[in-house]
Amino acid sequence: MKLNKFAKLGAVAVLSAVFLAACGSKSASSSSKQVLNWDENAELPTIDLSKATDRVSFDTLNNTNEGLYRLGKDSKIEPGIATKTTVSNNGMKYTFTLRKNAKWSNGDKVTAKDFVYSWQRTVKPSTGSQYAYLFSGIQNADDITAGKKDASTLGVKAEGNYKLVVTLDKKLPYFKLLMGFPSFYPQSQKAVEKYGSKYGTASKYMVYNGPYELTKWTGTNLSWTLKKNNDYWDKKNVKLSAINYKVNKSNTTAYNLYQSGKLDMTYLNAEQAKQMSNSKELVTRRGSSTFYLEYNQTKKEFQNKKIRQAISLVIDRKQYVNKVLGDGSTVAKGLVASGLSKHNGKDFADEAAVKDATATDTAKAKKLWNEGLKELGVKELSFSILSDDTDAGNKTTPFLQSQIEESLPGAKVSVTNVPFKTRLDRSEKGNFDVVVSAWGADFADPISFLDLFTSDNSYNNGKWKNAEYDKLIEASKTTDAGNATKRWNDLVQAEKILMQDQGISPIYQQAQATLVKSKVKGVIYNSSGANYNFKDAYIK
Amino acid sequence: MRKYLLKRVFYMILTLFLVATITFFLMKLMPGTPYSNQQKMTAQQIQIMNEQYGLNKPMWLQYLIYLGGMLHGDFGVSFQFSNQPVSYLIASRIGASAQLGFQAMIFGVVLGIIIGAVAAVHRNTWVDTLCTILSIIGKSVPNFVLAVLLQFYIALKLGWFPIADWGGFSYTVLPTIALGVGPLAETARFIRTGMVDVLNSDYIELAKAKGLSRYGIVYHHALRNSLIPLVTLIGPYTVALMTGSMVIENIFSIPGIGEQFVKSILTNDYPTIMGVTMLFSAGLVAVILITDIIYGIIDPRIRLSGSGD
Repeated sequence: MKLNKFAKLGAVAVLSAVFLAACGSKSASSSSKQVLNWDENAELPTIDLSKATDRVSFDTLNNTNEGLYRLGKDSKIEPGIATKTTVSNNGMKYTFTLRKNAKWSNGDKVTAKDFVYSWQRTVKPSTGSQYAYLFSGIQNADDITAGKKDASTLGVKAEGNYKLVVTLDKKLPYFKLLMGFPSFYPQSQKAVEKYGSKYGTASKYMVYNGPYELTKWTGTNLSWTLKKNNDYWDKKNVKLSAINYKVNKSNTTAYNLYQSGKLDMTYLNAEQAKQMSNSKELVTRRGSSTFYLEYNQTKKEFQNKKIRQAISLVIDRKQYVNKVLGDGSTVAKGLVASGLSKHNGKDFADEAAVKDATATDTAKAKKLWNEGLKELGVKELSFSILSDDTDAGNKTTPFLQSQIEESLPGAKVSVTNVPFKTRLDRSEKGNFDVVVSAWGADFADPISFLDLFTSDNSYNNGKWKNAEYDKLIEASKTTDAGNATKRWNDLVQAEKILMQDQGISPIYQQAQATLVKSKVKGVIYNSSGANYNFKDAYIK
Repeated sequence: MRKYLLKRVFYMILTLFLVATITFFLMKLMPGTPYSNQQKMTAQQIQIMNEQYGLNKPMWLQYLIYLGGMLHGDFGVSFQFSNQPVSYLIASRIGASAQLGFQAMIFGVVLGIIIGAVAAVHRNTWVDTLCTILSIIGKSVPNFVLAVLLQFYIALKLGWFPIADWGGFSYTVLPTIALGVGPLAETARFIRTGMVDVLNSDYIELAKAKGLSRYGIVYHHALRNSLIPLVTLIGPYTVALMTGSMVIENIFSIPGIGEQFVKSILTNDYPTIMGVTMLFSAGLVAVILITDIIYGIIDPRIRLSGSGD
C-alpha cells in the first residue's frame, strides 16, 4: 500500500515535470517578434545612478534613462533631452535647452531641476558615490566631494524648467561625451524622496525617462525585462517591445541556451571563442581596457630604460593574444585603446603608434639587456611579476616568465598571482617589481588613459616621470584645450614619449567574444562608458 | 534533559559569538576596500567614502556597532548590491538554495539507502560490485561535471527538462540530481558497511533461527540499526547543501546564496560576509544540536543529561 502511494507520488512528480518542461518550451517559442533575449554574466546591483559602479548597472541605466545626449555608434553624440547646446567663447559655460516633451514614467515632466538635483546628489559626500570624481572640472565639484563646500554651490543651475546652465572650473574638451554617461543623467527628486533608502533597489522603486522601463527586477534576482517605455519622447523610433535579460554565470549554460534558441546573444569564454572563430554569428566586442606592465621605477634596475625596453621587446604579444588568450583580445598598439577616439577620421592608437612599442625583436632585446646590465654593473637580474589571479592573469604571468627567461640571459623571473584587490593594494603601496595593470576608459577620450602617467598622479604606480610628458598633458588641459587639433597633437605626442621611453609596456587590449543571432539588428556597442544602446535595435 | 538543553543552547550562543568575532577581525585584515571602483578613486576619495560608511572608526568600535546591530536583527547594507539590506539579500536568495539542498538530500539519502541496502543484502555478488562501482563514481566525479553532462544530454539534446533558470519543479530536477549524487554515494557506502556488520552479528543469526522472513530481518533489524550512524552524517550535510552550492547554482543559473559567500569575500563586502557566515554557522550549530537530540531519542544507549556522567 505504502509502495503504491510512493509510486503514485512519483508518477505525479514525473508527469508534472514533463508538463512543466513542455510549458516552458512552448512559451519561449511563441515569443513575439520584437523581443530580444539577452545574456548577462553578472547581476544587476543597482539602478540608482548615483551609486552605480558596474557595467550591468550602467548598461541598464543607458537604456532605461536618458541624459542630455545619447551616445550613438562610435560614441557619436546624438540628441537626448537637450535640443540645443550653446558654449561660451571661453568654453567654460554650457547652456542646454531641454525638450519639453520628455517625461518620467510617473507622468511628470523632465525638467532642468532634475539635472541639478541629480548632479548635486551625486557629488554630495553623504551619497557615497564612487563616480563623483567624474564631475571634477565642473565648478566647485572637487570642493564639494571633499566636504569643503555645500552641494548647492555646484556649477549647475536651472533657468526655468527647460534651460540648464553648467559652469566649469576648467575646460573639459570631452564634456559633451560625459553627458552621455549615466552618472550625468537626471533624477526625479520626488522619486528619490518617495522611495528613500529603497530608491533604485528594485524596478518598482524607480522612475524612468529612457526608451525602456525596467520591470521584473527584485533587486537580487537573475532575470529582468526592459519594456518599451510608452512615455518616452521618441517612442516611435523604439522598435523592440521588450528585452529579456537572463543572468548566466556559466558560459557553457548560456551557450546551450543560445543553441536552443532561448537567447539571442551569448558571451563566450576563450575556449568557445576559439571553436566558434569561423561562425558568422561571432561578434567580438572590443573593450576599452588595456593591459600593460608597470615597472617599479623607485628601484634602480627599472629606472634603466634599456632594461624596460628589453623586457618589452621579448614579449611575443601576437602569440599571446592568439594562442594563450584566444578570446578575441588584440595586441595593444599603445596605452590608449584602439577604437576609443578619433580625430579627423584617424584613430588615436594609430596616430600615436611608435615603432617597437609593442613589437617583438629578440636580437635587439638581448643587446639592450646586456647594455642595461652593464650600466647597472650586474650580471643577472631577478625580479617578480605580479598579476591578478583571474583566468587571464594566471595565463599571463607564466607566459611572460618563460618569454623573458628564455630570451634574456641572466634574467630570473618569479611570478605572483593574487586577488584583484590585493593586487591593487600592492600596486598602490609600490610593493612590486613589475605588475600587470589594467585600465579601462570611462569616456571616449585619450585623456582618460594618458592622465594616469603624469608624475604626481596617484594611479601612476610605477612612478615613471617625464617632464615633457607632464607639460604636454598640462597643455592639453589648459592652453590647447580650446583647439581640438592642437590638443590632439599634444596627446599624441605625450603617448609617443611614454612609449619610446617604455614608461609602461602595453600588452593587449581586452575584447569580449559573443555570438549574436543574425536576426538582431541595430544594437549599438561602445567600448567606453555604458556599452550597449538598444534604442535603435530591432529583430529582422 | 532541560538542564542539558540549556547548557547546549548556551554553548551554541557562545560558538556563534566566537564565530562572529573571529570572522569580523579576520575579514578586516583583508587588503582593499569594499568599493568596486576602488581602482579609480584617489586615497582622499576613499577616505571620504570610509567616513560615510563608518569604516574610518576604530576597529573595536566598528565591531561593537556591528554586534549591536546584529542583536537587533540589523545585518547592515550590502556594498555589492548598493543599499540592499543584507537580510533581504539572504532572504531572497536562501529559498532556492534551501529547496534545492533539501531535495538533493532527500533524493540522495533515500536512493542511497536503497542502493546500500541492496548491496549489503547481496554482498559479494555482482550486484554489490555494481553498487560499489556506482557509489565510487558518484563520490569521485565532481558534481559540476555531472551537471554539465546532464544539462547537455538531458536538457539540450533530449529536451526533457529546462537547460537552466528557476521557475518551477521541472527546473529543479537536474540540479537536484547533480547535487544529490554526492550524498547518494556517501549514504550508500555508509549503509552497506553498517548493514554488512549488522548482518554478520549474532542477533541476526538468532532472528534467522527464529524463522523471521528475510524482508523482516533486513528491514527491522539490519537497516534500522545501520541508520543510526547516518543521522550524524545527514545533519551537517543538509546544512552544507541547503546553504547553496556555488558551482551548481552557476551552472543552472539558480538565484541561490551559494555564490554570495565567495563573491562577498572577493569584493570585501563586509556586511554580506558577516551575514552569510552567521547564517551558515547558526544553521550548523542548530543542526548539530538537533542531531544530538535525535540521536538520544533513537538510540537508547545515549543518555542526554547535563550531569556530566
